[in-house]
Amino acid sequence: MDFRGIYDRLRAMKAPGMTGCDEPREKNPEDKKDKGRFGDPYVLVEPALLPAFLDAVRMDAHLAFEMCIDLTASDPSTDDENLWVIVQLLSLTHKHRLSIKCLLPKANPVMPTSVPVHRTCQWHERECAEMYGITFEGHPDPRNILLPDDWVGSPLRKDYEFPEEYHGISCK
Amino acid sequence: MTQTQEHSPTISQSEGRTLESGEREYMLDVRTTDLEVNMGPQHPATHGVMRILVRADGELTTGAQPHLGYLHRCAEKIGENVEWLQYLPYTDRYDYLAAMNNNLSYSLAVERLMGIEIPRRAMMIRTICAELNRIGSHLIAFGTYGLDIGAFTPFLYMFREREWMMALFEKICGARLTYSYIRIGGVFNDAPPGWLSEVERFCDTFDEKWQEYVDLLMVNHIFVKRTADIGVIPKEMAIDFGLTGPMLRGSGIDWDLRRDMPYELYDEIWKSGCFEIPLGTGERGTLGDCWDRVYVRVMEMRESIKIVRWCLANIEPGPVIADIPKTLKIPPGECYVGIENPRGELGHYVVSDGGKVATRVRVRAPSFVNLAVLEAIMPGTLLADAIAIIGSTDIVIGETDR
Repeated sequence: MDFRGIYDRLRAMKAPGMTGCDEPREKNPEDKKDKGRFGDPYVLVEPALLPAFLDAVRMDAHLAFEMCIDLTASDPSTDDENLWVIVQLLSLTHKHRLSIKCLLPKANPVMPTSVPVHRTCQWHERECAEMYGITFEGHPDPRNILLPDDWVGSPLRKDYEFPEEYHGISCK
Repeated sequence: MTQTQEHSPTISQSEGRTLESGEREYMLDVRTTDLEVNMGPQHPATHGVMRILVRADGELTTGAQPHLGYLHRCAEKIGENVEWLQYLPYTDRYDYLAAMNNNLSYSLAVERLMGIEIPRRAMMIRTICAELNRIGSHLIAFGTYGLDIGAFTPFLYMFREREWMMALFEKICGARLTYSYIRIGGVFNDAPPGWLSEVERFCDTFDEKWQEYVDLLMVNHIFVKRTADIGVIPKEMAIDFGLTGPMLRGSGIDWDLRRDMPYELYDEIWKSGCFEIPLGTGERGTLGDCWDRVYVRVMEMRESIKIVRWCLANIEPGPVIADIPKTLKIPPGECYVGIENPRGELGHYVVSDGGKVATRVRVRAPSFVNLAVLEAIMPGTLLADAIAIIGSTDIVIGETDR
């Protein structure tokens, strides 16, 4: 199924937490500031309902997104008040993909864990938590994964300041 | 002590009894205190710097917890601080055994945002290089796996063929391990004169050698005893953990991105019917055991040779790189591109705000995802099989830690 078909099906089944979608478009020749938007389309989902959404699209026979390929986050810019949490789903049955984006306020980056739905999210969420300072409520093992346990700050945030030293090692 | 085992029939079937629920129950006569064994950070079988905290009760493993990050080099942060083209050499460094494939994945992601056409000859050379690199990577995976469980000689045999493969790459791009040859827009330069015919000679020789490996190691009685029925990953578990590549196909799931979501020329190659997708069959033990995963890798090498031959037969002269500026400005947007790497799906999720530098470069590393399954399959196996199981996941630490 192409993205339009998937999106229509998601609306028909009233997928929990879905708020809309974003599709690529050419740039508007009359508006000089407009640069257009390229790449992949994605659907927007409420962060609090992401696990329910993942479960619903996995169970639906027309969509059958049984595999979660990736769960990651992104910090678009220092001015933006939201973080993005991006999930890539894959259907082995129907051979299609879906990108999901959740907007998570930087002021309170808390969302429920998706581990009960896809166990692969366990490590992805640990990585997001240490790199972006997101709290995944109910995560079975919320330790750092790539960074040392005593690392301060969220390195992939755009406003991250590099430390000057770490345990006596100069980082300059 | 009573220990219930679901997936790992490592103890002979004559011991224990089957419960009404269908699970097997084993009685162990000696109970010992739980012992925590640190495997690593420096251990030859982890192929890099990784620590696995193994909890053991006598000879049985009761838990395994991988600790990563010793080789974390902030690849994703670097991606947000250098220009699009400058990031390409960093992609070589995650899975250094399959650097061509890494270059390809990143280039495809950026090309998709740019919406440019790649010359056909460039795609052919890219496919040849990616498949040759897959062979080299599987040779290491297979050879070092033999090494891990005690077979030293096959490892040396496999390095002999890999040496030739690396010499071929040295001729085309000057580097033996970190190529940066596949660029955004095509490839760096055209193949030197005589290179393609040498690749053909390599293919001819490799076909003979391949049979040698199978006879020497794959069907070797000791090898089969060490790997069959060990570390079984059932289908549902494979999907739940998001496994890809030979790990997924070893469990009998028919999925290969080269056929099911083709990129570049793979659609055409698949339709020409020249290659197949090998799957785990469980012919020596249980479906999804260590032997099946290795079997898939070994069979894939021969399929890669077929793909290379198809490209050699169909390659035509032409340009090898599209016309792109020195300093790239990528149109705003985001996309995810995943390709079939030797270890599974290597994905790049890239976000651009229209400038010279990426807003986000996310690497979906197959080794990282595949390693997570250890926590689930290790409990209940014998301690002596730990190395066999870790080796069969075929991880590259450069990729798990990025």
